[in-house]
Amino acid sequence: MKITLNEDVLADNNSAAAFLRDEFIKSKTLVINLMSSPGAGKTTLLERTIQELANDYKIGVIEGDLATEIDADRIRAAGARAVQINTNGGCHLDARMVAKTIPNFNLEEIDILFIENVGNLVCPSGYDLGQKHKVAILSVPEGNDKIPKYPVMFRRTELVLLNKIDLLPYLNFDVDTAIKDLKGINPHSKLMNISATTGEGVEAWVSWIKEAYETR
Amino acid sequence: MHEMALMGDILKIIGEDVQKRNFSKVEKIELIVGEVSNAMPDALEMALEIYKTQSIPFLDKNTKLVIINEEAKARCCVCESEYIPEKRLSVCPTCCIPSGELISGETFKVYSYEGS
Repeated sequence: MKITLNEDVLADNNSAAAFLRDEFIKSKTLVINLMSSPGAGKTTLLERTIQELANDYKIGVIEGDLATEIDADRIRAAGARAVQINTNGGCHLDARMVAKTIPNFNLEEIDILFIENVGNLVCPSGYDLGQKHKVAILSVPEGNDKIPKYPVMFRRTELVLLNKIDLLPYLNFDVDTAIKDLKGINPHSKLMNISATTGEGVEAWVSWIKEAYETR
Repeated sequence: MHEMALMGDILKIIGEDVQKRNFSKVEKIELIVGEVSNAMPDALEMALEIYKTQSIPFLDKNTKLVIINEEAKARCCVCESEYIPEKRLSVCPTCCIPSGELISGETFKVYSYEGS
């Protein structure tokens, strides 16, 4: 007997995400989902970002990784409350995993919550985590081909932080081509040049977060 | 490969319905997979084969997977023409500016199954 279901495969995830979104709105917490390849500099950038924001905001971080607490330890050292999710081999975070970690935070006391997704340009892009903003980090050594090769990630994020721009003089990365590729995939997205190591461009990123906080 | 996780969600959706109807076997699963949905048909096939070895009661080695492809299409908001998107998928081939929005190709659904 043929049964027609016509049901969205991600329906379960999406209802968990809707629950999270409600919680975040109630507690007035700004939530940003950060996604990138492994090694693009998510954790270094977060350490830097936390230093810039820690005086004025209470920061929480959910760290997604296949294994270990290395990143959560770095974030705690930078002065934020951090909870690690080990996916045990899973290539992305889903809304159910995030919902399970939420009792570890008192959301009322968190102004800004960063979710550092598992390093991967494919899988995390499909999962709504109830966040207000999705931000991708692309680093200069990864090369220009990443934006056209992973269109779904760049279509579904509203800001791309081009990290490690201090390496531009040594590598064949062309920023104008990256902007053109990005606009061609997602005209609403923008590219922001940054170096988490030297601090260049961090001010603009921090202003972006502050503005997002005001309009959360 | 998130297709293992996706297939897990697919089997959960079907499993709940199978239980409701007191079926014991699923002969065929039909999915609609958009070309830009980020799910790969080959990897979904492979994921199902792996789940078949994990003693899920309503699956057996003959359970078939049928994937209905949903073509990616975009519409330009300037000239209003429809086009098949290329790499820079927002770029309208007529206007040559990023003025297009996807109108299909992102669907990822369990369309139907055959159970008994």
